[in-house]
Amino acid sequence: MGTTGPVTGNRDDGWTFRARAVTKVYANGVRANDGISLHVAPGEVYGLLGPNGAGKTTLVKQVIGLLKPTSGQISLGGHDLLADPAAARQLCSYLPQAQVPIDSFRAREAIVLCGRVRGGKRAEVEKRADELIEALDLGEWRGKRGIGLSGGVKRLVGFAMVTVCPGRLVILDEPTNDVDPLRRRMLWQQVRELGDRGIAVLLVTHNVLEAEKAVDRVAIIDNGRLLAEGTPSAMKAADRGHLRLQLMIAPGRDAPQAPPFARRARLAGRTLMAVLDEPDAPDGIKWAQEAVASGVAEEYALGATSLEDAYIELTGHASGHEDAGRR
Amino acid sequence: MTMIAAPGPAMRRPAPPERWLRGYGRMAAWDIASLRLYLPVLSCVLILQGAGFVYGMGLLFADMPQSAAVFVSTGAPVMNLITVGLIFEPQLVAQQRMQGSYEFLQALPVPRSAAALAWYTVALATALPPVVLTLLAGLARYHLHLAITPMVIPAVLLTCLTGVLMGLAVAHGVTQPMAANLISVTLIFVMTGFSPVNFPAGQLPGWLASVNQWLPFGSMATITRSALVPGFADGVPRAYAVVAAWAAASALVVAWAQGRRG
Ligand SMILES: Nc1ncnc2c1ncn2[C@@H]1O[C@H](COP(=O)(O)OP(=O)(O)O)[C@@H](O)[C@H]1O
Ligand SMILES: [Mg+2]
Repeated sequence: MGTTGPVTGNRDDGWTFRARAVTKVYANGVRANDGISLHVAPGEVYGLLGPNGAGKTTLVKQVIGLLKPTSGQISLGGHDLLADPAAARQLCSYLPQAQVPIDSFRAREAIVLCGRVRGGKRAEVEKRADELIEALDLGEWRGKRGIGLSGGVKRLVGFAMVTVCPGRLVILDEPTNDVDPLRRRMLWQQVRELGDRGIAVLLVTHNVLEAEKAVDRVAIIDNGRLLAEGTPSAMKAADRGHLRLQLMIAPGRDAPQAPPFARRARLAGRTLMAVLDEPDAPDGIKWAQEAVASGVAEEYALGATSLEDAYIELTGHASGHEDAGRR
Repeated sequence: MTMIAAPGPAMRRPAPPERWLRGYGRMAAWDIASLRLYLPVLSCVLILQGAGFVYGMGLLFADMPQSAAVFVSTGAPVMNLITVGLIFEPQLVAQQRMQGSYEFLQALPVPRSAAALAWYTVALATALPPVVLTLLAGLARYHLHLAITPMVIPAVLLTCLTGVLMGLAVAHGVTQPMAANLISVTLIFVMTGFSPVNFPAGQLPGWLASVNQWLPFGSMATITRSALVPGFADGVPRAYAVVAAWAAASALVVAWAQGRRG
């Protein structure tokens, strides 16, 4: 069973995923996707970044056949997924943004059953389920029923359910929601391994900083449009030699003017983000310390620029903060 | 479509019959495991519904006429058969829609017909023990003797199948969870109070009796009753046709609803 059974080893470029000019206008007139084109090669982990409401979930639901594009094409290898949604369901595995229905299952049982439904052989599925339980540190819950699991543990079980017997394309819609930082790292590791096994991974997230480490390429989406695409380092290239100064504004206070030497600055929720040239770092620290001393700000941080700076520049949103994508 | 690249050599989808059978078996296992806390409760509720109805009706009469006793005792198991499909699936799917897990299940790589038949199998297995107990309760309460014919098998299978398909049609066709629940409950009321399931159609006002000629519930009772008490019901071939037509129409709605992509 090669399609839904575990895919092993060699990368096979015949299984590239492609979306071409995908546009989705909902019945209420919302244009959730607007001419999105992208491709994901086998073995590639492709991050879809964007604030809430950007259109990420809409895009992946069209891939798995839950929604129909208004126009555009979606294919995996030689399969037209729009014309053949049954093939889409067999070739792709999908972790939705919402929780998986496992209330009456025990955690390990849910993973095994899902692998079986996806077409795996019992012995292989059980072995792989145990490996995933180990790798995600879920041992203490393996025999617990879903109804008693916390949101984060359920999320990890859901991840194991859809990847125990992955298709050619694995679609993960915000897999790390509610997951604790330690297990997030384990989860990213498993995502990476999916890629290393030659599977194409389409990863939706609004947590840019974490995604940066796990993905080969990213696309930044906002308002239904693909704004930029590339490797994380290429996306950051424009900010080489720069530093990022973050100033957390105190509640009830107005944000101060960015320092005049900042290359650029943006207010994202309660955080003022400024990009500085490295030589300006001492001035930046002094400026931030004064803001804290005067009570305008609560704290500040100075660090290397990251993908997030490119993301903020493009979307005007900070990710992974309380205000992520609020609109 | 544009062929972007040749499918890779590892593309070994099993032949459709094999895939269908595997999907059926594994989906049935999934249903049983995911509902194992509820199915025994559902069986008990059906026993209460059936046996309770049989005994309750007996309280209305000091001495129930024989034909009325036959109607009630053979109608109550039919109510069980209809209820399991018509009530449970819409409620379950409504709950899945509200929790957001509906889409996860819809994205599983199982042929839709295999998943539907898996659910039918589970529903039938849940309903059969209550059906038998309800029937036995009626026989014991009213000292009836039935002459059960082999036609009971197609009658029971078709009645349960039609109830399940109607339930699936409501569950998948009506996207508003509250509306789906209301519709299925309304259908149960129609079955209990306004359809000749537990009483002869002649008891209904003329117009309602004619409407029921085209509704499935009275016909479901007719085909099942005719297999339990030969000669007691007439219009049996027509009743089979009506029930089968409802099954087919419901199956079309299910196929349309599941193929529909927003
Ligand atoms: N079923 C729907 N009907 C109408 N509009 C929708 C529907 N689902 C999502 N939207 C709208 O489409 C846009 C994109 O939503 P979504 O794809 O869920 O974004 P994301 O996953 O990036 O947060 C939002 O404006 C949202 O309100
Ligand atoms: Mg989303």
